[in-house]
Amino acid sequence: MADDPRIKIIIGHFGSGKTEISINLSLFVKEQHAKVALSDLDVINPYFRSREVRSHLEKFGIELIAPQGKIATADLPYVSGELNRVIIDSEYKVIIDVGGDKDGAVALGQFYNQLKNQDYQMYFVVNTKRPYVSTAEGIKETIKQIELVTRLKTSALINNTNLGMETTADDVIRGFEITSEASRLLNLPVLYTTVSSHLQEETKAFASIHDVIYIERFMKLPWE
Amino acid sequence: MMAKVLMKGNEVIAEAAVHAGCRYLFSYPITPQSELVAYMAKRLPEVGGLFLQAESEIAAINMVYGASSAGARVMTSSSSPGISLKQEGISYLAGSELPAVIVNVMRGGPGLGGIQPGQADYFQATKGGGHGDYHAPVLAPATLQEIVDLMQDAFDIADRYRTPVYLLGDGMLGQMMEPVEFKERAQMDLGPKDWATTATRGDERKVTNSLFLDPQELEEHNHRLQAKYKSIMENEVRYDTYLTDDADYIVVAFGTVSRIARNAIKKARDNGLKAGLIRPVSLWPFPEKPFIDTRDKVKAYLTVEMNAGQMVEDVRLQVEGRSPVYFYGRTGGMIPNSDEIYAQIFAIAGGDE
Repeated sequence: MADDPRIKIIIGHFGSGKTEISINLSLFVKEQHAKVALSDLDVINPYFRSREVRSHLEKFGIELIAPQGKIATADLPYVSGELNRVIIDSEYKVIIDVGGDKDGAVALGQFYNQLKNQDYQMYFVVNTKRPYVSTAEGIKETIKQIELVTRLKTSALINNTNLGMETTADDVIRGFEITSEASRLLNLPVLYTTVSSHLQEETKAFASIHDVIYIERFMKLPWE
Repeated sequence: MMAKVLMKGNEVIAEAAVHAGCRYLFSYPITPQSELVAYMAKRLPEVGGLFLQAESEIAAINMVYGASSAGARVMTSSSSPGISLKQEGISYLAGSELPAVIVNVMRGGPGLGGIQPGQADYFQATKGGGHGDYHAPVLAPATLQEIVDLMQDAFDIADRYRTPVYLLGDGMLGQMMEPVEFKERAQMDLGPKDWATTATRGDERKVTNSLFLDPQELEEHNHRLQAKYKSIMENEVRYDTYLTDDADYIVVAFGTVSRIARNAIKKARDNGLKAGLIRPVSLWPFPEKPFIDTRDKVKAYLTVEMNAGQMVEDVRLQVEGRSPVYFYGRTGGMIPNSDEIYAQIFAIAGGDE
């Protein structure tokens, strides 16, 4: 991660793993920086959002910018204006967890004027095991639609190909190949591959030749 | 055979419906099932189908009536408050003997309630939320893979018996993600829909209608419906059991709650309590056999639901007072955890005595 922008915007197809990556990234960034904010911009999902791990993030001193209290579970596409504060304050490292697809990315569009002159990068999360983004063409189409509504340019791709707890090393590798194909098609770099930490052993060989970040899962089900 | 994909429950319901031959969806968006509608809006045109966002849930269910009358495989979907609005139409479908699948991704109620998961529409689905003497078969999947199978079953049952069928899940099932596989299943030969209103060619006039002004005729119609329900009760019961053979304490749970209950049962077994699980998959017709097999042997049943106690009434009917039946529930969108369920089993077993 030589290229380390102050603001990291995480976009992607619906259900591609943006929230898990955003939470993990904010924890990594916090190890190096005093002021870190994670913005939960998800106006699409009613459950399984960054705001559900608020107390965990606060324990590590990460500011979660998300609807609070009653509003947190309201069925409203509510975006906190507080995001402006950390976009402008250059002392903050910011991770923005955007909702899926173009519909989720609409919420980001309103911050275009504040973001455009800041040190930001926008990363598109790829999970080729999801419908509609299983091919380079599908990835291109989704990126195109997101860029249209946000007016922001994608900087790089993150390969997060997984099948939940059934992921194999082969899935990760095959996902990397498709992500690389999309990278050539779109002329965008593959930033790195994110892999669930329970697959550390199986993906050793892949990690020895490619950039891999191992992540923990936070969005757990009540029987897990 | 397609490779496994990672999908959200609502998307699986939609894709499974497409695989089951559904080509028409009439719905109005509502949390927590809106992804189903969004997915179908994109997916149905790809297979020559049509999604239409109706102006209301009432309009949607009546569009289902129309499409079903014309012989189409058709579905509507909503969440609790929206399903309440559809009840009149569901009664009309039952009365007119029209096949359709109704998906309810339940949230906490009553009224507008909340948007977190619930199971409080059990009564509405299984006891007939609309008016008149009718039943609608209700299938309740617990995993995303099971949705794939049950969706096909739902459409087949609907066509075979000419009845509306519910697929009943909760918001958690709709929102969670799991890997699924869409195995191609042989289409059941259900024969031609010779009753469908696909225009006359100088032959017999076809009408789909639930109006019978002659009381004798309406009674005969009701007798036909009841005979059909009897046949469904004989042929379409589905359930699953887990460690019930030697169980002293049986937890009864449906849908996602059964998965939490399994963990509590494992913990009970680890602590020397012989616990097991009965999971009704068809909520109507409600399974009798697993209760007949166990009710004279077990020390107690514990029904766990995300409501104030609904399925527990059917459990008590099946147990016939031969064994105590306890209830534990959470409401409002709160989800019971396995420690809570274990604590209930532990207490029923005598606790620290």
